[in-house]
Amino acid sequence: MSDRAIQDTLIRALADAPFRSTPGWRDQVLADPVRVERFARFLARHFYYERLMHFFKYSRALAKVTGRSPETVLTGAGFEALLPVLVLGSRASAEAVAKLAVDQVRAGTRAVVPYLGDLLSYESAMMTVESGARIWSDGSSTAAAKQQWSVPMRVEGTMLLDLTYDLPVVLPRLLGPWTEVPQPPREPTRLLIARSPHGRVSVARTTTTIDTLLELADGRKSLDDLARDAGLRPAELQATLEGLVDIGAVRFSHGS
Amino acid sequence: MASLMVGAFYNPHLGERLAGASGIDHLAMADPPRPDDPWWPRIRERYTLLLHDYLGQLSEPLDERAIARARSLADLYKTPWVAEHFQCLHTEDGTYNLNYVFPPLYTEEFLERFVVNANALQARLDQPLVMENIPGFFDVKASRMPEAVWLRRFFERTKAGFLLDLPHIWLEAHYHGVDPKTFLADFPLERVVELHVAGVEMDRDLEGPWIAPTEPSDTMLEFLAHAVERCPQAKAVTFDAFSPSLSAEVLQRSVERIREAL
Repeated sequence: MSDRAIQDTLIRALADAPFRSTPGWRDQVLADPVRVERFARFLARHFYYERLMHFFKYSRALAKVTGRSPETVLTGAGFEALLPVLVLGSRASAEAVAKLAVDQVRAGTRAVVPYLGDLLSYESAMMTVESGARIWSDGSSTAAAKQQWSVPMRVEGTMLLDLTYDLPVVLPRLLGPWTEVPQPPREPTRLLIARSPHGRVSVARTTTTIDTLLELADGRKSLDDLARDAGLRPAELQATLEGLVDIGAVRFSHGS
Repeated sequence: MASLMVGAFYNPHLGERLAGASGIDHLAMADPPRPDDPWWPRIRERYTLLLHDYLGQLSEPLDERAIARARSLADLYKTPWVAEHFQCLHTEDGTYNLNYVFPPLYTEEFLERFVVNANALQARLDQPLVMENIPGFFDVKASRMPEAVWLRRFFERTKAGFLLDLPHIWLEAHYHGVDPKTFLADFPLERVVELHVAGVEMDRDLEGPWIAPTEPSDTMLEFLAHAVERCPQAKAVTFDAFSPSLSAEVLQRSVERIREAL
């Protein structure tokens, strides 16, 4: 086993709580298991602190009226109970920690924030979509691979979120100075939340064209099939797909 | 020794205070400025800025995208040097990521990786590269040499500068049960360009001290004075705290106390 592979095992052990209890890890005795466990718990709290501070920043800004800060869940019993099963960066763990934050804020004062349910759905979705393995280096094979791609496919984890309020209107205002809670228009809104392979999370309002393409892009239909089924001109299809690829909602895979 | 710059990290939530502060020579940039940061233009105009972002882990080669980003940030900040860390925090395939600094194994293989990749990065930068030491909370049996030896060999082969993080040294000494000054003596202090100093606090998970966005203790400042005397090439000391919980008062007072300690 190379030193790099040993380092990977160590990183996995620190990130993946269930892995730490397997014979495959324990038998290697790479380091003092008590110290490893302590450091892993420290890392887990740090990992989700950063994410809650980032993705739940709007709820945090509202804490002066709700009385509930999302990140305080990290010192609560709910998070302690999750520690033995957390896998840093996994979708299941992101969902579980986000749920703790949602429950925490939802239990606060809601009267002056009628859109709090929407907001928590949005923040939770952002945190969930951000999870998952990511590409850290483009390497040298990307350009060659791109030339072979031809079949568009909706990326797993891409989310469509239906809201009762037009939330994007109010989000920047929540982070600015305010005395009366900013209110968004009550207007049905559908958002697309996606993550690029490098881990950047993007939000966009959807259109009928986007909805249709995301539904049809199953990794089997060619560009011609998509254009025909969606009733789009090639230029329109290309422009929309480029935008979706850029934010990570769609990728191209090898055709079968 | 030339006069040392004394500074801190740019914390965007303290932008207004930092834009009008005095007694701070430089600001290290851990993140790019947000497009909506109203204080950024004044910060950029007023301070010497040090690039201290995550550029990539040098256990692997940086790709063109990462190098272009590093060059772009270096140009934006007009940084006198570019900092990175001796860290290996995500798996090679990207599946697992600690999102926190974590040292590599101190082995020949990793030394070769870091030397090759640091030299490749340096060749693409217009500024010198400095590398920061990262603390280990536990020893790994697969490591084959002391950290100080590994670092010395790295600097000999790359001619890079050393960003000496003193709390990291202090913590490692603490967890090995040795005197911090004795532990420090083995490190290549002649290569030090910049020093970091910060506070430490008890951590509930570690059941011991760890770095925290608090003021450095008198003991840490005395350790800083001891270290600076042994770093003839040092140009800057930075209060190493970057956190939404950091207050302007703690930042300002820490910089003042660092200056007094030198």
